Amino acid sequence: MRRAALLLSVLPTFQLSAQDDPRISEAQAVLAPLVESYGVSGAEGPVRETVKRLLPAWANAETDTAGNLWLRVGQGDPVVVFVAHLDEIGFTVDSILDDGSLHLRTRGGFYSSLFEAQPALVHGSSGDVPGIFLPRDTGFVRRAPPPLRVSIGSTSRAATLARGVRPGATVTMPKQYVRLAGTRATGRSFDDRVGSAAQLLALRRLDRAKLKHQVIFVWSVREEIGLEGAAVAAAALGPTVKRVHAIDTFVSADSPLELQSFAVAPLGQGAVARALDNSSVTPPAYVDSLVALARARGVKLQVGTTNGGNDGSVFTDYGAVDVALGWPLRYSHSPAELVDLKDVASLADLIQAAAEAW
Amino acid sequence: MGWNSNKADRRIGGWADRAALLTLLLSAYPAIRLTAQTVDQLALRFTSWTAVTGFERAVTDSLVALLPGGTRDRFGNVIVTLGRGSPRRLASCDIDEPGYVVGNITDDGYLRLRRVPGALLAPLQDQMLEGHRVTLFGEAGPVPAVVAVRSTHLARFRAAAAEAPFTVDDAFVDVGAASRVEAERLGLHVLTPVALTKRPLPYGDRLLAAPRAGERVGCAALAAAVLGQPKVRGTVVVAFAVQSLYASKGAHAVAALHGPFDATAVALLDARYHLTPVETVSLAAADSLRRALMTWMEGR
Repeated sequence: MRRAALLLSVLPTFQLSAQDDPRISEAQAVLAPLVESYGVSGAEGPVRETVKRLLPAWANAETDTAGNLWLRVGQGDPVVVFVAHLDEIGFTVDSILDDGSLHLRTRGGFYSSLFEAQPALVHGSSGDVPGIFLPRDTGFVRRAPPPLRVSIGSTSRAATLARGVRPGATVTMPKQYVRLAGTRATGRSFDDRVGSAAQLLALRRLDRAKLKHQVIFVWSVREEIGLEGAAVAAAALGPTVKRVHAIDTFVSADSPLELQSFAVAPLGQGAVARALDNSSVTPPAYVDSLVALARARGVKLQVGTTNGGNDGSVFTDYGAVDVALGWPLRYSHSPAELVDLKDVASLADLIQAAAEAW
Repeated sequence: MGWNSNKADRRIGGWADRAALLTLLLSAYPAIRLTAQTVDQLALRFTSWTAVTGFERAVTDSLVALLPGGTRDRFGNVIVTLGRGSPRRLASCDIDEPGYVVGNITDDGYLRLRRVPGALLAPLQDQMLEGHRVTLFGEAGPVPAVVAVRSTHLARFRAAAAEAPFTVDDAFVDVGAASRVEAERLGLHVLTPVALTKRPLPYGDRLLAAPRAGERVGCAALAAAVLGQPKVRGTVVVAFAVQSLYASKGAHAVAALHGPFDATAVALLDARYHLTPVETVSLAAADSLRRALMTWMEGR
């Protein structure tokens, strides 16, 4: 019996949840391949391809010069935009040292200690090259390590170059979507693969005949390094957009390590209206209207405030109203991000409702 | 190499002597009974195992199933006896590893930890848990989980968090349960073993990174030597010892239950980044170690 259990443990854990509600199964089937695609800011190609593969058959998506993926549905004014970002935090290779190791530059904000002494993946020109984030050899009394380096096992600059690794290559850590107890799951880059998945799930259920105006779904690039892809999309659309919904993480304080002064949105209690963050404030009347819509459609919705910026905020420069929507996430920007799949389904329902009936 | 049969313990292997060892053995023994690929496969398999010291039973089950003639002695060590008569020699390795057990379960379903053994073996040993996947080996089988970490976003505009390294007392293990009852339903309780989820990583030119790689790949080389069916001189007792981190209690039990021995050898590979999750060994050196062990067993 024990041996059987150990053998099962080497199978992908997400295969072991056979008794799921169909909505949970569907959410997982869309989310897992997105989480297991790699896309540091500026190198989102693999994630974009996964999104395209998961789109409904009728969808005709286009990629703009910045790398954003666009899908236009319905016709007429006013234009409403949903935007989730494709990219994830990570590193780029800054330079290759004489000993063959890689000096890194961070992309996005995170605790570098979470990468120290962990497996690494260098996304080189000839494919992924495995390596390790080197552990420090001094300074053991501090939590934060010195600037991180990666070794791919080579001992000279020439040998590293011969493996197809060049400055500018992106670097991440191997990752896996893993199912936890109940309807919870863990992995790295749920921020913002959950947003990307929720848009896809909403599109699968969207009744296009109900749309009273054009709705544009955007999967944006380079959010983690300054909302850059969204800025390109916002400039392209200008003042035609009435309302924008950033579909992004609600970083939750639902954790024993966090202060409980704000951002307390429990996991499993539904999507969250991200009514105030560090980049935008949703007008209270819009929040009230959203709450009424959710109630009318039977969608679980929480309302809260958290930290961070969102892609919708760059549309406000052109007069759009930013009604950011999210889901509660624990342990943001870590390898152990944790979600409840019920919230993913809830967020998809909310997107569908906002597109069809608001 | 300068092999002899003194009673003193010997560590076989290591990068420093790898080149010399390969030269010696390839010229003297071209007929290799086990391929290097097999050693690589065993190394990957062994480094994916978890055997928190004192809780090695699942791994010893696997070893007994793997090794013909393998038995478990009353202390839990796995023993394979090759040959007969004298001299009576011992080849051993340590299969256990530092880890944790559940020390408490909170009302809201988080698990707290106790380090096993008690002392830190490396200054940042506990910190390597923070924000990473762990596996709990509960009554109903392995349970995946993560160790909580503060969200990066929520630290903004607040005073900097403590700069001291993360310790086991900071650890909250999140299995996805919302209550103590939910956690217990997963087969988890006080004393359930917990360790970082193993992800052995081959990289570079036959390098392998994994927690405890030096010891575990040493054991893989020893197992490969046994599977190579050496024609031993006299008796060789092969021991995969438990509880090395409790003052080598497993090894002492081997000596008491299966000794005395005329000579002993310990299978251990030199490792870079020792006692980190990316402890790195050379699989070429592991293959050399396997050959050296076979040579030693055959008394040549």
